[in-house]
Amino acid sequence: MLPPGSSVEGVVELSGAVCSISYALDTVESTIKRVSDDRFGAIATFIGTTRNSFQGKAVTKLEYQGIKLFASRSPIIQSCITPAYTKLALKTMTQIIVDARNRTPDFRAVVQHRIGVVGVGEPSIVIAVSSPHRNEAFRTCEFILEEVKRKAQIWKREYYEGEDESEAEWKSNV
Amino acid sequence: MSFPAHITVLYFAAASTTLGITDELVPIPEKGLYLSQLTELLIERHSQSSLNTLRKILDSSQWSVDAEMVGDEDLTKVELKDGMEVAVICPVSGG
Repeated sequence: MLPPGSSVEGVVELSGAVCSISYALDTVESTIKRVSDDRFGAIATFIGTTRNSFQGKAVTKLEYQGIKLFASRSPIIQSCITPAYTKLALKTMTQIIVDARNRTPDFRAVVQHRIGVVGVGEPSIVIAVSSPHRNEAFRTCEFILEEVKRKAQIWKREYYEGEDESEAEWKSNV
Repeated sequence: MSFPAHITVLYFAAASTTLGITDELVPIPEKGLYLSQLTELLIERHSQSSLNTLRKILDSSQWSVDAEMVGDEDLTKVELKDGMEVAVICPVSGG
């Protein structure tokens, strides 16, 4: 099935924050550099990765409204790209940053979400937050993560070993 | 001669899998259409699909119009007009 035409890469830059949706993530080092600020003494990062099992079932591949990849067990890669509703997801991520600033004004942040195939062990989301002190860095990083999981218009489909592909379920964070 | 008004409906996740499409142009009836009425119209349109599944998906989804989320309490207030982009927002699973 063809991917939605609205699932594309995109970046939004705000003052002191960058939100992006892309097929590949920047390195953690470069992400940390982007939030580094001589005024700030703390940097908190979160990386979400694909687990190999869910409720006892082995995950063979994961489709983030994106490319289907057989991870780890089989060398076959299918490239059927089905993406997120990027323009709305980026709007949502931007509002999350604005909401985070209403709680803690002083921070820099980078939020990157991947679309496409995410193999087992690979990162799907990276969040880095810098702020004057560790408390705000941890809390803001967690706030952004929980809000992204709750609201961002991005979907994930997990494929399990031994199960028919057509039976693979779209996950829900609710 | 007036051209029929159409909206673009975008489908993601379970909605796109069930229907086998990711988007379509849907004509709006001449008398107008509110967002709250769109579910029934889409079900009529896709009567060959697994209706129970489609209805369950649409009933559990939120909606966006021109890339703005519409609260459940506002569905009856949003009138759909020619050229609008409406998306079925199934429960999300990012992060």
